[in-house]
Amino acid sequence: MLKQSYRYDQTTARLEVEGLPDFSAGHAEQAIGILSSWRLQIVGASELEGKREHLEALMQVVIPYVRLRLSGVVRSLGEQNDPVRLVPDGSQHRLDLTSGQPGIPPLSIQLDDAQLADLVRCLDALRSDGRVCLAWPSIQHEPLPRRDLVERIPLTQRLTAPLLGGATVVVLGVLGLLLPLPEVQSPTPAQAPEVKTETPISDPAQPDQER
Amino acid sequence: MTDVTAEAAPDPSIPEAVLGRRALERLDLLLLTVESLDLNGGEAMLWATRQLGFETIFPNRVELWKRRCHNPLRRSTRRGQLSAVETEALIRILCVMADRLYPMLHQLLSSKEPQDLTRQRWQLVHQRLRDLIEERMNLRRGAIQRFLGSEPEGPLQRQLVLTLALAAGPGGVDRLRASLLDPTP
Repeated sequence: MLKQSYRYDQTTARLEVEGLPDFSAGHAEQAIGILSSWRLQIVGASELEGKREHLEALMQVVIPYVRLRLSGVVRSLGEQNDPVRLVPDGSQHRLDLTSGQPGIPPLSIQLDDAQLADLVRCLDALRSDGRVCLAWPSIQHEPLPRRDLVERIPLTQRLTAPLLGGATVVVLGVLGLLLPLPEVQSPTPAQAPEVKTETPISDPAQPDQER
Repeated sequence: MTDVTAEAAPDPSIPEAVLGRRALERLDLLLLTVESLDLNGGEAMLWATRQLGFETIFPNRVELWKRRCHNPLRRSTRRGQLSAVETEALIRILCVMADRLYPMLHQLLSSKEPQDLTRQRWQLVHQRLRDLIEERMNLRRGAIQRFLGSEPEGPLQRQLVLTLALAAGPGGVDRLRASLLDPTP
């Protein structure tokens, strides 16, 4: 039996992968080098399964979404017609799955915070499992740009400081305009300088003035 | 519980993560939340330190406490910044602790649990966290006063518990580190 199957269990989620070792790549018998199928069971939702690219799309949406939530940023990930999309829905999260096959309606799964954590732990466990020798898409976690973080602050709170500053400048400007201007005095003609006449020394015995 | 010991040794390829003031506050508050969830949290942190091989960085509980005192919101705060190695060690200890407490975090966050029971659990965590904050933090700081005035299941506490749940496990370390390195908006 070369077919291998590994399962990653959490309280409300179970991810199961099946595949074969790729002997041409030097894999051991217990390894999975070729993924044949995967199944994801979430409590209260239909079972999901698909190809490797669907699982990779799920990883590329769920893991960055969780990264955003860690920074308190509430934003949907994935476009409208993407196979996987995760959208904040009140205090919950809506996982939208669109099939590539015609005639299959899109599926929406409502996840609470605990289910989201379970799902990401299953995906983390799969990605870090040394027995599954597949090159998963690289997901780099970087600090978020400042503009993303600003969005988590309510608009009123963001606008308070600049509005208050602007209003202060306007009020001070108006007050400055209300202040009376000092009267400009017309220049008076310069007076003739007084001519000081020194009194002659009356007494020759008087001592010289100190410098 | 997921085993994270295999990748616990300090990795020289890890980027230099020197945390700013807000990130230090957040990291210490998360560790405090762990202590409020686990009555024996202080001892468990020491155990995690040994399990991860960080005895040289934090040889005893005093050294661990001294590093946590870089939080500017502490009653007895220390100046300076944590080094990159110390920061990485604290992040990994936190993720191991979160992994260990994950069932409890799950119960708190789950909407499928009975509401009365969930409310009681939040009330208990809130009260323990309040006691720890009143004991260790500078109560004159606005951030602390805001926290103490918040509801048991308010957004501040929920975000702390959610952060721990999403940072638990092998993938949580990178996510939490990146989140702590976010610039201050």
